Amino acid sequence: MSSTLKGITLKGSAELVAEFFSFGINSILYQRGIYPPETFTRVTQYDMSLYLTVDPNLKTYLNDVVTQLKGWLFDCTVQKLVLVITCLETNEVLERWQFDIECDKTITGSSGTREKSIKAIQEEIRSVIRQITATVTFLPLLETACSFDLLIYTDKDQVVPEKWEESGPKMIADSEEVRLRTFTTTIHKVSSMVAYKRTDCI
Amino acid sequence: MDGMDDETTVFTTLKSFKSFISKPETSQKPPDSSLAHHHLQRQYLQRIEMEEAAEKICSKTHLLQMAQEKQQMELSHKRARIELEKAAHISARDLEREVDRNQELLNRIKKLEEREAETTRTLNEQMEMNKTLKKSLEGENKKLEEKESVISEANKTNGALRDEIRELNHKLKKLDMQLTTQSTDNQGLQEQLELQRKKYQELTMKFQELQATQSLNSDNELKIKELERRLALQEQDSVIVRNMKSELARLPDMERELKRLREENSYLRETQENSNLLREETEGLRRKLERLEKLKEDMVSLELEKEKQATVLQAWENLSEMTGLNIRKPEDLSREIIQIQQREIALKQQNHSVTSSARALEKARAQLQGEVTDLRTKALEEQKKREQQDALVRRLQKRVLLLTKERDGMKAILESYDSELATNEYSPQLTRRVKEAEDMLQKVQAHNLEIEAQLSKAQEEIGTYKLQTQKAEMELDVLKKQAPGAENSSFVMNEEVSSLRQKIEELEAERRRLEDQNNILEMRLEKHNLQGAYDPTKTKVIHLRMNPTNIAKQQRLDEVEHLREECQQLRERIRALQAGGAVTSNEGTLSLPPSQEVLDLRRQLESAELKNQRLKEVFQKKIQEFRTVCYVLTGYQIDITTENQYRLTSVYAEHMEDSLLFKHPLIQ
Repeated sequence: MSSTLKGITLKGSAELVAEFFSFGINSILYQRGIYPPETFTRVTQYDMSLYLTVDPNLKTYLNDVVTQLKGWLFDCTVQKLVLVITCLETNEVLERWQFDIECDKTITGSSGTREKSIKAIQEEIRSVIRQITATVTFLPLLETACSFDLLIYTDKDQVVPEKWEESGPKMIADSEEVRLRTFTTTIHKVSSMVAYKRTDCI
Repeated sequence: MDGMDDETTVFTTLKSFKSFISKPETSQKPPDSSLAHHHLQRQYLQRIEMEEAAEKICSKTHLLQMAQEKQQMELSHKRARIELEKAAHISARDLEREVDRNQELLNRIKKLEEREAETTRTLNEQMEMNKTLKKSLEGENKKLEEKESVISEANKTNGALRDEIRELNHKLKKLDMQLTTQSTDNQGLQEQLELQRKKYQELTMKFQELQATQSLNSDNELKIKELERRLALQEQDSVIVRNMKSELARLPDMERELKRLREENSYLRETQENSNLLREETEGLRRKLERLEKLKEDMVSLELEKEKQATVLQAWENLSEMTGLNIRKPEDLSREIIQIQQREIALKQQNHSVTSSARALEKARAQLQGEVTDLRTKALEEQKKREQQDALVRRLQKRVLLLTKERDGMKAILESYDSELATNEYSPQLTRRVKEAEDMLQKVQAHNLEIEAQLSKAQEEIGTYKLQTQKAEMELDVLKKQAPGAENSSFVMNEEVSSLRQKIEELEAERRRLEDQNNILEMRLEKHNLQGAYDPTKTKVIHLRMNPTNIAKQQRLDEVEHLREECQQLRERIRALQAGGAVTSNEGTLSLPPSQEVLDLRRQLESAELKNQRLKEVFQKKIQEFRTVCYVLTGYQIDITTENQYRLTSVYAEHMEDSLLFKHPLIQ
């Protein structure tokens, strides 16, 4: 980690953002109950206790996605990361967590550092994850069995690696959207939002 | 009573009196009339005396009556008093008694009240106890109800369980029956099986014989094939020999050709080296050619440039003739240019200074114009004032004239009145008229003053308005002078101004509309962005093929397929069981975990089969024993041939076919 150095490089920023996504996705899976809580273990990160999965299949899947994402963050070709929660019985999308990534392309490959302390970035990440935890209060209950999928929006000319394939955007038909906080490392800016299917009971 | 008696005595005396009176009338009537007259008189007098005596008697009796009544009254009075006293006594006693009773009753009431209080207390306590008891009762009732419900539920479950047990017993019985039927079927099938086995054995023997013959056949065929092969080989060998012969004939020709080819080869190798050299040369020449062609092109382009430069130079050279300056070289031109630029700078500075002075002059002119306008306004004001003063003077003069006229008139009136004063005595009237006239005059004068004041005010206002208009006219003149060409086009300017204003308003309205539209579109774009829309020409969406959703869907499909297959297999099994077929071991491929019932039934079935088997064996053994014992003891072997027919074979029989046949009549 670039914690000993003063500035943030492109590589360091990519690592920070990838790490945030890893913990953020685990938090969302735990909070929304996609996987049973006993398959999660507690770890300390960003000065707060978060949950990480111990399911080996899930771990390998997340690792694959996050390493690929780290590479693309370094190339500044990724635009969005979306976590889609679908109901298994009716095959319709119930929730959509979307993270927009804006990359400052003026920074060249390995040269150039930006002045921002790691602590400040971690503080911002902490507030975003706290907000994700707080959204559980107003999101509708997921009563049926659900499963999730991770979609990545990249540039049109990005080469699709071997195990990846193109897919649709998996948007929700009748949705309510809520914008959440953003955090920035001065090289990458990540803004989060959640869209959920409107329920009929009011 | 005495009164009544008295009254009756009175009546009786009256009656006796009347009877007495009447008697002498009857007795004394017949004698004579004069005697009668004296008699009558005497009777009359007697009568009167009698009547008086009667009256006296009456009054005496009345008196007596009264006295008696009085006595009676007194008596009664006394009696009444006595009775009253008695009654008073009695009432006093009663009163005392009542008072005592009252007191007693009061005491009793107090006691009763105390008791009541006590009882109310006890009642309250009892009520409370009641309540607690009720609550406990309710609690216990609830518990009882719960217990009852539990018991009812238990009963229900009991009933259900009993029903289940009954059903299971039914099922068991059915299964037992099925078992028996199946065992009988089994027996029949086994007999069939034995028959089939015998057939099978015969067939196997035949099959073996056939196989032996077939093997012999195959051996023969093999031998035939070998011989054929050998024949073919030999034919081939003969063909080969023939070819070899022909080839040998060709051999010397081949040797000659070989020599020739070797010579050619060497020649060709030499020529190849030459050709390589030549190729290299050609390549070098080709490269040279290309270079030369490039040089040619360069040269052509250079010549074109040269011509261009020449023309430019010509132009430069002609420049001196065109501009008329002493120019031969570009340095001269640059020098000229510098000079011109310096001149330009100087001129600009001059221009600046001139403009600044012009501005200063303009400012001064504007100031002076302002002063001029002020002075003009002042002059106008002065004029106004003078006019006002003139008007005042005129008014005053008019007033003076009027007053003098009035004075003359009054004087004339006075003179006329003075002249007429001696002749008539209308002086009071005249004085009155004079007073009236004076009053009228004063009123008229006051009215005049008011009107004159109003007039002066109006004239002042008119004067101020005139001043304002003149000021505005002057300003307008000044402005008109400042804008030289605008005098004629004042109306056009107004129109232009109004049209420009309209245009500005329209543009502002459009700007607002466009701003609103912009805001709406931005909001829509934001909403679409939040929902996840993207531009397909710049972005694409990718995900891992083996992602949890796909895996979960696949698992679901697999589960569904698996369940369908299980269903199918179960249906087939049910069909087989309903048809009554034997459950063969092939259906061990079923993945159904056998339920407890099935396991029990299987165990029961196995035990029943075992029992059957053992019974059969035992029966067999026993019957065999019995038969042998019968044979040994009686000396006859008894066999059952068909229904009700028995065959006896003796021990001492010489042939097996010697036997005795017996037939039993039909046993019911």
